[in-house]
Amino acid sequence: MSAIKIQDLSYKYHDGTTALENVSFEIEKGESVALIGPNGAGKSTLLLHLNGILHSTTSRESIRILDESVDPKKIHEMPKKIGIVFQNADDMLFMPLLGDDVAFGPINLGLDKEEVQRRVKDALEMVGLAGYEHRVPHHLSGGEKRRAALATVLSMEPEILAMDEPTANLDPKSRRELIEILRRLKEKGKTLLIITHDVNAIPELADRVIVLDKTVIADGPTRDIFSETEMLVRIGLDVPVITQLFEILRCFDYPCDVLPLSIEGAVTNLTETMRGGNGHVHLHIHEHTHSGISFARSKYHVHIEKHELVTE
Amino acid sequence: MISEIDIYAGLSSPIHRWDPRLKVISILALIFSIMLLYDLKLVILSMLFAIILVYISRIPFSFVAGRLKWVFLFLMPFLIILPFTVIGEGVEIAQIGSITLNFRGIESVGYAVMIVIKALTSVMLIFPMIGTSRMDITIKALEDLRLPNKLVQMLAFTYRYIFVLSNEFMLMERSLTSRGFKRESNLYTITTLSKAIATLFVMSYEQAERVFYAMRSKGYTGKITTMHEFTLRPQDWLYTVVVCGFAIFVQVAVWYGTLEGT
Repeated sequence: MSAIKIQDLSYKYHDGTTALENVSFEIEKGESVALIGPNGAGKSTLLLHLNGILHSTTSRESIRILDESVDPKKIHEMPKKIGIVFQNADDMLFMPLLGDDVAFGPINLGLDKEEVQRRVKDALEMVGLAGYEHRVPHHLSGGEKRRAALATVLSMEPEILAMDEPTANLDPKSRRELIEILRRLKEKGKTLLIITHDVNAIPELADRVIVLDKTVIADGPTRDIFSETEMLVRIGLDVPVITQLFEILRCFDYPCDVLPLSIEGAVTNLTETMRGGNGHVHLHIHEHTHSGISFARSKYHVHIEKHELVTE
Repeated sequence: MISEIDIYAGLSSPIHRWDPRLKVISILALIFSIMLLYDLKLVILSMLFAIILVYISRIPFSFVAGRLKWVFLFLMPFLIILPFTVIGEGVEIAQIGSITLNFRGIESVGYAVMIVIKALTSVMLIFPMIGTSRMDITIKALEDLRLPNKLVQMLAFTYRYIFVLSNEFMLMERSLTSRGFKRESNLYTITTLSKAIATLFVMSYEQAERVFYAMRSKGYTGKITTMHEFTLRPQDWLYTVVVCGFAIFVQVAVWYGTLEGT
């Protein structure tokens, strides 16, 4: 059964600018998908369509969530199916106490008191904020706020979880914690749609990547998408640093057909290479090494022309 | 970090331990009762009672006085104008252009003083009422007291986002200062700050829209309910009887006073 099915979705803002144009894709239940694209590509707009907050006469026909169309009059029934985590946690934490915020969704779903309390406890535990019920949201740190915002959605126990840049603007530790939480959700089989610019996190979180720039530019397994370097760089995106490093290593004659995308992939790759080389890795410098490196590096960098300073 | 509104909510006193619902109702009843008084002696007595309440609540008098200062500033005109305008004909004491100042006797001064003390007492009572519980608990108490849900939501949102907005404004001001802006008493300062405030309004409007989206995503249909449990203990009723008792006592005293007068 498909969790999200979008067929020819188009959307224009009030001022007439096109936000989305003929967007089509389908996400199966239990799939974990990263949605990437440059700023202003319509990613967040797409997200708000998924539970009917933004809608147009055509969008109603275009979107099916868990095999049902989205009725803008029944948005309050959507949280059971799809939970959306907004980019700015302050937008999501609007109650006086964190406990109230996490209970907000379940209470709206009409659950009884015991069930609401159980869900609040479970959701906070899941994001590592157990016992934070009586904390005041605006006193939490940035990382805590982000996890708290996720908890307010997890408490509704939606089938699908859609997130807008969950790891943006976090310190490395908070980022790591958030990735761990999302990984656990993925392992549990939750359907995930994650909007992100954090290409280094994608290999851990998503099996599939959809590239959006007003319309779907590419859609495929994570590895395939990241091998299309030119396309990604052209629309202003990047590939994981590990992948870039191994491409450079290749210029030093490192034997590697399939570039790893993550640290884990790199460890496996290195282990295998060393096993094949009797415990050694051989790197060499040739005449073509430098030109190879320059070529590989130039692929990832969009050159900004420097204007010479005029000195008198 | 404690927000200023909750700065003394963490103290420990009988008033802090008083059930917030009964506290709000009792003190409100007392405020209304004081508002209805027109007897200087009873008003002064009420003020003493209010001072005792503030003393028991352990909220520092300096904190209360600091805030009453501004209220007093608004009340000053009463002290100046009332002695020349109410009760009786009065005695002409000065002539400024076409305006004649008629002093209306010591009663009118007493009347002005009474109004000022009444107002100060009412404002003073707000401190033990609101300042002794965390704002979120007070909001829940109001919700439990069946205050219209729309008003509860307005209070809750104001409390939640006033900090976001003030923080936003502080960031803006820092950004202005770091680029050489200095507050001076000139038109440039005023226009710059009003532009910053205007931007803040636009930003808050946009944030309000995003918050509304987030609420809708979580099944909001117009009503907010929270979970809370208040339990009443015998002491709660005792404090209620004392405070409400005083509110009734002053009214009864007025009533007896009128009986004696006739």
